[in-house]
Amino acid sequence: MTVAILDPTNGSIDSASGFVTAPRPAHLEGQTFGIMANGLGDSEIMFDALYARLAGTDGLADVIKVVKPSVAVPPFPEDWDRFVATATVAVTGLGGCGSCSTRSMRDALDLEAAGIPAVCIVHTALVPAVRAMARLVGCPDYPIVTIDYPHNPTGVWTKEEAVALAAEIAPAVRRRLLQAS
Amino acid sequence: MTLATPNHVFETADEALEACFELGWTDGLPVVPATVEAVAAMLAAGGLNPDDVLGTVPTRNVTVTAEKAAINAVMAGCLPEYFPVVVAAVRAHLQVKANSHSTTATLAGAAHAVIVNGPVRQLIGVECGQACFGPGFRANATIGRALRLVIRNVCRAVPGELDRASFSWPLRYSFCFGENEEASEWTPLHVQLGYQQNDSVVTIQSVMRFIAVTDFEPEAEKILDAIWEQARHAGLQRDEWAGDGRSLVVVIGTEHHLRLLDQGWTKERIQQYLWPKMTADTGGKYDNKLHLADPANIMIVAAGGPGIAQSWLLVPHLAIPTHERVVFPDDEASAAGTTP
Repeated sequence: MTVAILDPTNGSIDSASGFVTAPRPAHLEGQTFGIMANGLGDSEIMFDALYARLAGTDGLADVIKVVKPSVAVPPFPEDWDRFVATATVAVTGLGGCGSCSTRSMRDALDLEAAGIPAVCIVHTALVPAVRAMARLVGCPDYPIVTIDYPHNPTGVWTKEEAVALAAEIAPAVRRRLLQAS
Repeated sequence: MTLATPNHVFETADEALEACFELGWTDGLPVVPATVEAVAAMLAAGGLNPDDVLGTVPTRNVTVTAEKAAINAVMAGCLPEYFPVVVAAVRAHLQVKANSHSTTATLAGAAHAVIVNGPVRQLIGVECGQACFGPGFRANATIGRALRLVIRNVCRAVPGELDRASFSWPLRYSFCFGENEEASEWTPLHVQLGYQQNDSVVTIQSVMRFIAVTDFEPEAEKILDAIWEQARHAGLQRDEWAGDGRSLVVVIGTEHHLRLLDQGWTKERIQQYLWPKMTADTGGKYDNKLHLADPANIMIVAAGGPGIAQSWLLVPHLAIPTHERVVFPDDEASAAGTTP
């Protein structure tokens, strides 16, 4: 006698497809740089330094920064509206803990869906988790910019370290914002 | 009853069980095969249609239906009469401020306490007394496990994917207990929250830290002092999104309960005593302010058995405790998801 059982899941995490990223600008000059930060550790110092660096090297015109009200939630609706009305390119993060990294990845993907080129900054320790989020929305190969050890995953950095990290990742962030893949 | 979920057919029950492991459908322990008949019985006991929606996790594009909750309740080993409690637990966990994504993906590996109040405890045998945190009691063990299997299987909190706990912890297998309302005249938690005495109510508290307070002092104030001192060791930071709802659950054990009763302490008086001490400014690395907006954010629950003079603190993750009334099929006056 056979046994028939029911699948308890909501289906494969890889079942979505067809996600389309936002069109990329030719260069960063004149763009408004959006920072969607989750406030993790000292990552805001890095994001501020990243803007300062790219403003100096690439001629960014302005910046808008939203610090979310908790590390692993979407921004408040009014902050989201203000952000997408202003930013023309964006970074999200820090992807440094389990829930905040995956939510920051979702922020980047939501910004792409809203037509804003974006990139999520993620520590290498959290790459499998953010990759799961990308698979879930149908964009498994969505590029990210990573930070590696010896830097602490959760953004517990010195100010000097945070500023140095900004300089280190700036070329990858530029490349990612200008190239869709 | 027509279900949306397709069948997987196996030659034997053993093969079906092994397939559940291979397909990643279990918490690492054996599960009960979820047959159509068993799932239909579960849904009938809850008075629900398969496609009734219990809640969502927007960050993960997840919708949890009654059908999927019932499948996981069967797998967890629940009896059909437990299902109304499972449904209330799932609904409470999926309320926005329960912050499902954050509390189930976190590095910290937060667990979820299912606290049951009201007549349903005795109706289905939810243990409130000795060893109530488990193991040993089917209702406690399987209701807590059913919520965890829903979190894993339906809400996609799979280790290595969207469950990113560095260690995780054993409370995540199952953590369900009832309040020992019969032990004294203390106001039960659900009545303090505004529900009726005869309502059955589930409270979900995310648990970031689970701290024992063992203190053999005979004086009530000294017991309470031990509680707030331990709580201040952990501290509780303000979270803008969670706002003023974030709460500490204090489970008062029997020995402490008896001493407090003997000396005339009510829950309300305990809350008033603890709150200013818990919320005083931080005094050092191991003396941290708890950001609790009001004395009512210290939720007192009586439980446990006699013996050791012990109480427990359930310190939350980035969520507020959420509550749902247990709705039975013949409960015409009730409406799912109501709050007082």
